[in-house]
Amino acid sequence: METGRMRASIKRPPTPDAEDEDQDREPTLQEIINIKLIESGEKERLKELLRERLTECGWKDEMKSLCRSFTRKKGRNNVTVDDLVHLITPKGRAAVPDSVKAELLQRIRSFLQSAAL
Amino acid sequence: MSTTLNPCKHLSDYKLRYGVKGFSLIQKWVKSGPYGKTKTQMERSKSEIPRCSFCCGYEGRLYMCLICSSMSCSLSSESNHALLHTQTQIGHEIGVDLQRSELYCFSCADQVYDPDFDRAVMCEQILGLGNGNLDGIRSNGKRKRLGFEVGLNSDFKNLKRVGGGGGGGGGGEWDHGRRISKSCFPVGLRGLNNLGNTCFMNSVLQALLHAPPFRNYFLSGRHNRDSCRKTAADRLCLSCDIDIVFSAVFSGDRAPYSPAQFLYSWWRLSENLACYEQQDAHEFFMSVLDRIHEKEGKTRNTNKDNGDCHCVAHRAFSGLLRSDVTCTTCGFTSTTYDPCVDISLDFNTTVDHFAANKAQKSTETGVSTLTSCLDLFTRPEKLGSDQKLYCQNCQGRHESVKQMSIRRLPLVLCLHVKRFEHSLARKASRKIDRHLQFPFSLDMTPYVSSSIVRKRFGNRIFAFEGDESEISTNFEVFAVITHSGMLESGHYMTYLRLNEQWYKCDDAWITEVDDEVVRASQIYLAFYVQKPNGHKAGEDVGCHLRSSVSSDSFVSIAGCC
Repeated sequence: METGRMRASIKRPPTPDAEDEDQDREPTLQEIINIKLIESGEKERLKELLRERLTECGWKDEMKSLCRSFTRKKGRNNVTVDDLVHLITPKGRAAVPDSVKAELLQRIRSFLQSAAL
Repeated sequence: MSTTLNPCKHLSDYKLRYGVKGFSLIQKWVKSGPYGKTKTQMERSKSEIPRCSFCCGYEGRLYMCLICSSMSCSLSSESNHALLHTQTQIGHEIGVDLQRSELYCFSCADQVYDPDFDRAVMCEQILGLGNGNLDGIRSNGKRKRLGFEVGLNSDFKNLKRVGGGGGGGGGGEWDHGRRISKSCFPVGLRGLNNLGNTCFMNSVLQALLHAPPFRNYFLSGRHNRDSCRKTAADRLCLSCDIDIVFSAVFSGDRAPYSPAQFLYSWWRLSENLACYEQQDAHEFFMSVLDRIHEKEGKTRNTNKDNGDCHCVAHRAFSGLLRSDVTCTTCGFTSTTYDPCVDISLDFNTTVDHFAANKAQKSTETGVSTLTSCLDLFTRPEKLGSDQKLYCQNCQGRHESVKQMSIRRLPLVLCLHVKRFEHSLARKASRKIDRHLQFPFSLDMTPYVSSSIVRKRFGNRIFAFEGDESEISTNFEVFAVITHSGMLESGHYMTYLRLNEQWYKCDDAWITEVDDEVVRASQIYLAFYVQKPNGHKAGEDVGCHLRSSVSSDSFVSIAGCC
């Protein structure tokens, strides 16, 4: 399986092959944390917790109805998943209740402490 | 609920060329999560997380090409490597969204659906269910490899394509009827005298008098009193007495009526309840339906799956409940069907923050709602360790999870709110006085079996037996029976909704009331009637009563009252 070099893209410079990538770059702190979260399974648990909280507080229903009204307006066959994602991402991010944010931040903090980072 | 399944050209091409090989390949990587969610994860060492082959990123949506297995990510319209993949590898158009186990078409930049794919995923989900993925239940059972078809209920066996074409349109318009001036009550409203703690009877009678199938049956004289008396050996027929009550109440006479003969007949048929003590309205309701059925039902044992009893009681109120019991060890689900004439709901004391009025997001005092009771009724329930059931698949007694749903909705839905709780500590029953909010229009879609079972699998596509059926899921309330007082002694009243106007029926007194009064009342029994989809002429017995077929005591009443 070959990955060709991407010279066609206008906006980004040519991307080197995936194989070279790993050896050269220093992972950023953010990446290290993220990888640790994933490896330990904590990220999955956090995601589940987040899903639960957002469902409980009605956030999910709100997003659903936003998607529904958008789809109704544009017509069911003229809407793609990407359209919907782009539509609700900013609204969704803004609508997350502070209590949920606080709870997740707390969880991440304690994880970081326990992982001794 | 309609699922238009027309595949895009790219998906059709893919299937033509590769069939379901790709699906079976990724099948073994599907991992189940709670709430019917699945993700596709290749078995790799823990330190390797899936990364985009273009940018090595792991953020945003990750797609795996079904042809070459390469990953690409999609972050935004500016950074869409998934699109890049299909542009550089001609013909590589279909992939799988790894986090969601959904098919994706790179060219259309949209999710696409395929029943074979969903079937592959669902097989893995079912296996996953037996592996401690059920809401976090941990079980140490061995993972039994179920065949492709085994373990799938008969519902899945015919995995037909769900045909295209829109489902029901925007639901029929409810026939609002004519607005009658407030000074004139519609026909069929008549007070009932209390014959000595008989409010339980009066309240149920008022509801039955206005249950459309019931009302239509008796008002069109389908129960022939004359021929009935000839055949009855003991001359006891509750339907005859009900017919008499109908005649009296719809006669146009407004003076309160005493249903003494009906009461007497009921006593004779229900000896154990014959007394002047207070009774439970729900119990009375059930016993009336039983008596009608006994007399009219063609066969005694009509309580089978396909047995449709044609007595008026069952035709109006009979529905079918589905009970799924899933063994937590092997994931095998055993399904049983039971007929019902009503649904008894436990009072859901968890508060609903987003009750009917979405305007206020109340954070302080939430409200208990009828729909949350229905949610509770259909929620998967972990049966206690003292209730281990025998599983025929893995042949052992294991803990299981039970879930109820409605397989067939009745024409008239009677919802019984169990307003009592038994406290083991105090060894006494207590009435739950808490207010319960209820909707005037009720959509039962989330509680029917097809919805519940679909939800278990994250809304995968499969054809459900008897799906897209003729029966509408939209219901409209027409009567509520309220109770005030205590468990041992209290008072029943009925609120009737006729032509969008609510009437309070308190034994002999009938008054018009506003919506708010009804909403604020403490409901015990709620009666909803099916709202037809493509508006069949809603048989509203308005003031203009056409003289019915064979009945005698009706007079054409032109104009009001």
